[in-house]
Amino acid sequence: MLRWIAGRVVSAAVTLLGISLLIFVAVRLMPGGYEDVILGPLAGPEQRAAVAARFGLDQPVFVQFFLWLGALVRGDLGISMVTQAPIVDELALRLPLTTLLAAMSLTVTLLVGVPLGVLTAVRGGGGRGGAAGRLLSAIGISLPEFVLGSVVIYVFSRYALGLRIGGFATGASGSGAAFQALILPALVLSVFSVAATARTTRDAVLGVLVEPHIAAAIGRGESPWHIVRHHVLRNIGIPVLTLLGSVVAYLLGGAVIVESLFNISGLGSYMVSALGRRDFGVVQATVLFTAAAFVVVSLLTELASGLLDPRVATTRKGVR
Amino acid sequence: MTRSPVAAALVAAAVTAIASCAPAAPAERAPQKEVAPGFAAVADTSATRTGEATVQLDYDTAEADGLDPQTAQWARTWMLTGLSYETLVTTDEKFAIVPELATSWTTPDDRTYVFTLDPAATFSNGRKVTADDVVGSLERLREGGGVWSGQLGPVSSVEATDASTVTVKLAEPYAPFLAALANTPAAVLPMKEVNAGTIDLKKQMVGSGPYVATQHRQDKSWTFERNPSYRHADQVKITKLTVDIVPQDSTRMAALREGSAQIANFNNADAIDLLADSPKTKVFAQKQSDYFYLLVNSRRPGSPLADEKVRFAINAAIDRRALVDVALGGESAPTAAAPSNLPGGCAPAELPSAKAGPGKAAGLLAESGAKNVSLNLLIDNSEPVLAQLAQVIQQQLAQIGVTVKIEQYDVGTYEKRVLTTRPGEFDLAIGWFVGYVDASMVTRWWNPKLSGFTSGFAGDHADLDALIAKAQATGDESARAAALTELCASADRHSEIVPLVHRPSFLAVDTSVVSPTVQSDEGYGDFLRHIADFRLLGK
Amino acid sequence: MTLVSFARRSRVAPRRRDGLFTVAAGVLAVIAATAAIAAVVPFAGDPDAIVGPRLSPPSARWPFGTDALGRSLLARVLEGAGTTLLVSIAAVTATAVVSTLLGMVAGYCGGPLREAVTRLGDVLYAFPSIVLAVLVAAVVGPGLACAVAAIVLVTVPLMTRMITAAAASVAERDFVTTAKISAVPAPVILGRHVLSNIGGTIAVQGTYALSVGILVEGGMSFLGYGVQPPQSSLGSLIQQGGAYMAHAPWLLFTPALVLVLAILSINLIGDTLRDRLEPRETRSLG
Repeated sequence: MLRWIAGRVVSAAVTLLGISLLIFVAVRLMPGGYEDVILGPLAGPEQRAAVAARFGLDQPVFVQFFLWLGALVRGDLGISMVTQAPIVDELALRLPLTTLLAAMSLTVTLLVGVPLGVLTAVRGGGGRGGAAGRLLSAIGISLPEFVLGSVVIYVFSRYALGLRIGGFATGASGSGAAFQALILPALVLSVFSVAATARTTRDAVLGVLVEPHIAAAIGRGESPWHIVRHHVLRNIGIPVLTLLGSVVAYLLGGAVIVESLFNISGLGSYMVSALGRRDFGVVQATVLFTAAAFVVVSLLTELASGLLDPRVATTRKGVR
Repeated sequence: MTRSPVAAALVAAAVTAIASCAPAAPAERAPQKEVAPGFAAVADTSATRTGEATVQLDYDTAEADGLDPQTAQWARTWMLTGLSYETLVTTDEKFAIVPELATSWTTPDDRTYVFTLDPAATFSNGRKVTADDVVGSLERLREGGGVWSGQLGPVSSVEATDASTVTVKLAEPYAPFLAALANTPAAVLPMKEVNAGTIDLKKQMVGSGPYVATQHRQDKSWTFERNPSYRHADQVKITKLTVDIVPQDSTRMAALREGSAQIANFNNADAIDLLADSPKTKVFAQKQSDYFYLLVNSRRPGSPLADEKVRFAINAAIDRRALVDVALGGESAPTAAAPSNLPGGCAPAELPSAKAGPGKAAGLLAESGAKNVSLNLLIDNSEPVLAQLAQVIQQQLAQIGVTVKIEQYDVGTYEKRVLTTRPGEFDLAIGWFVGYVDASMVTRWWNPKLSGFTSGFAGDHADLDALIAKAQATGDESARAAALTELCASADRHSEIVPLVHRPSFLAVDTSVVSPTVQSDEGYGDFLRHIADFRLLGK
Repeated sequence: MTLVSFARRSRVAPRRRDGLFTVAAGVLAVIAATAAIAAVVPFAGDPDAIVGPRLSPPSARWPFGTDALGRSLLARVLEGAGTTLLVSIAAVTATAVVSTLLGMVAGYCGGPLREAVTRLGDVLYAFPSIVLAVLVAAVVGPGLACAVAAIVLVTVPLMTRMITAAAASVAERDFVTTAKISAVPAPVILGRHVLSNIGGTIAVQGTYALSVGILVEGGMSFLGYGVQPPQSSLGSLIQQGGAYMAHAPWLLFTPALVLVLAILSINLIGDTLRDRLEPRETRSLG
């Protein structure tokens, strides 16, 4: 088991290295460079070259890559070309917001999505009774964040409903204010993940319910609640965990639309604006962080799956 | 499928429901009335409350040299750094030059300018502004070789005649000189500290203007506080100005509605209607000298656009009035190369292409012999109005049988393909110029030797170059207007950089809290130009 | 009440009438057919033509109103629905094929192969789709191909992951082991046993991917890399309409309603397909 865990960690590290190389090269293949965007058309070629040279953009790409990797290993994420300030400082301000938003959405997802899935499966089965649950979760995954977000913003700004859209814009600080300002975006974000989780959970529960040991449990006269708790929940862990892993990774890096609608200075908007300006260091840092979050969460779900069902670990090792 | 009629009925019912709850047809907007000549709004001077206000802007400044105003390339930087810095002179609502740091000036001859400084002027570190600061700033600007040293013109010497007088000599007459001095890149900087190395202009703004920036987080927010050393500090009523960067239009509108911001800017003319549901919010339209242009690339080898006749036919086919009405919601006006709202600006109706008109464009194209002309039209994704202009132009050109394929790219890709690659990798492209406050400033770009970047898509024409030089050297108003008219006509005939319509700007203000002063026209994109005069209403 | 007495076993009858399915299939058919007919016979008018005043509310003349340029929204929504369905279906078909092949092989073989596929998926997943869109747009030009490529690359990782997991669990089942012991060749096992048992997963994940694809297409349009103007897609119409909610709500809600109905129908059809492709016993408690 320990060897298996060590193997997982090594492969996660290899993945991160692959991602960093790929993104490093990819951003440099994008047409137009930092000097084009920041200087605009009026600057001459010499000014352009001077700005490029200032940030070492004139060096061969592999030299730039190893310099960056070397700094990264020493814990230095580099500077933003736009602000000429350390990227890590800006990340330190943005990460808490992104994390809090993700945590809030995930909480809603867990508290609503999983029970909803179990309930619709147990109560309705595959039959007609599940229609309401199916419809509800299908509507949830069909609502674009953009539409939902736009409506929420309009309604809450038009009619004073207690929660303000510009929670951050008013210069509010402190975790209490941040929490309040994140309620609406977190709810908008959770609609999709709640619905997706409910669907996956329902599917997994339906799969488990036909297993012989459930029949045995029913035969023993165990109550439905008891059966769910003792036989169903632990057996649906793997698919649900896998999905939740993706949800977490998405929330930590990809909530670009919700961030921009609600004006949250999180990771997503940082990456998008840096991409627009070809601020390579920032793009690399944010992508790497998102990737790291995804890889770590995947690793944890895999490890958890391994613990839930030791067969996962053995088969992965290739022992058959 | 027995239930599909039911489904269809459901769809129909839902659509009807939406239709029935929709508001009535939007009424034609009444044109904006001026409250005083040249002003869309004038602050209520009877309100004397001091307090805070929040402005939301669509994007932040980002420059290669940080906050250093002299090399600033973008109008947004001019505006934001202009909150802290002052220039010798400034412009008024009619684009006339008026005093700022200089209380007066004389022009003994057309190459000499003598400025007398305001003795009360003080930097935010408490030090008086001296003639040496002015000389040092202008020298630094000249030597910096940035864009604005070009706009400043042929300055040959800058000298402190005495402690409060500065004399600037030009190598030759240059009409836009004072206009160039009126923009933030020509700001007077605390040169003593800069030279001593105690102030880093890239990171810090120590100016003599109304505000001091106490905090800036890139792309997020600024905090400006009233500069206690400002010589008119007691007139500044907004003592703390928070500037938030909020890229989404709908989010800025929400902030105005719910009161978390009092002032916000918009580019979309429909902001006026979109905020109509918030009675306390008033939207002021500002006609900028800035204008949208269509680049018609004559430099691409083998392109039909190498033929001036084809280019002119395309120019003539564009109905600028329709662009104004359809793409800009009526809140704009056609322009020629010399912005129509500037003194000496050209009348767009007098241009050769306008006289030919869309009706004759097809004939002109047929005369050129070009057949099956198919072109791409590049735009960037920075604002929706570009796609709207592109789509209307696409339809107008289809009328004369020119097929246009619109390609939208992100700003970096657009800049590379259109503005920095030579020859440019495009046929047609839409963008916009800052119009400045003197007609000779933006028209410089028609001379590729002066602009640099236009050589990727425009030829160098001796007649046009001569007219550009003539207009900027002519001081006499009517002679200058005549030269500009010729210049506009020549630029129009060459049809490589085709001016379209003015680029409007909209300032939305919560008038239950803020009483603003807003000019009807603006040349440097500075919609907060009069922020120090804004008044706060209420308790 | 003795809950156990309510426990029942039932077999989903493949031909059993399913109300939701019928409605969903009907709605989708109406949307697709109308869009298809409009593409051939523009009965609602030319979607690009400027026909009336800007931002007119729905009326007898323009049933869905007009947009910010004065074009008939009905014509644009019909064109948009066609574009969106075409792009998303093309992209998701590609995704489904790629993911099924990769996922099945990876899940069945396990070991280093599964490892490699999973890691590749992680790399792709972490890769920002906007970077991808800018790159593809620079190479092939922005437009439909760019949107399809972006949707494929966004949807492949998750779908592959889920199919891999499903295939791996099928690979452990007794009948697969039996087949292996009987020396049935791997391709046959994959085709006969594994594929038929992961059909449900493919259907469910495919419908997810389709709905995600439609959303991604909207996002691409928002950033300017999706369909190029004047062509419309539901996503681009929604993005453009979003700004006008306070004044011309039909610009947002009409395409949004069509989009939601389309995704909803696809999801519901996916559910039913799963039940039919993978007839299985179900049981409900209580």
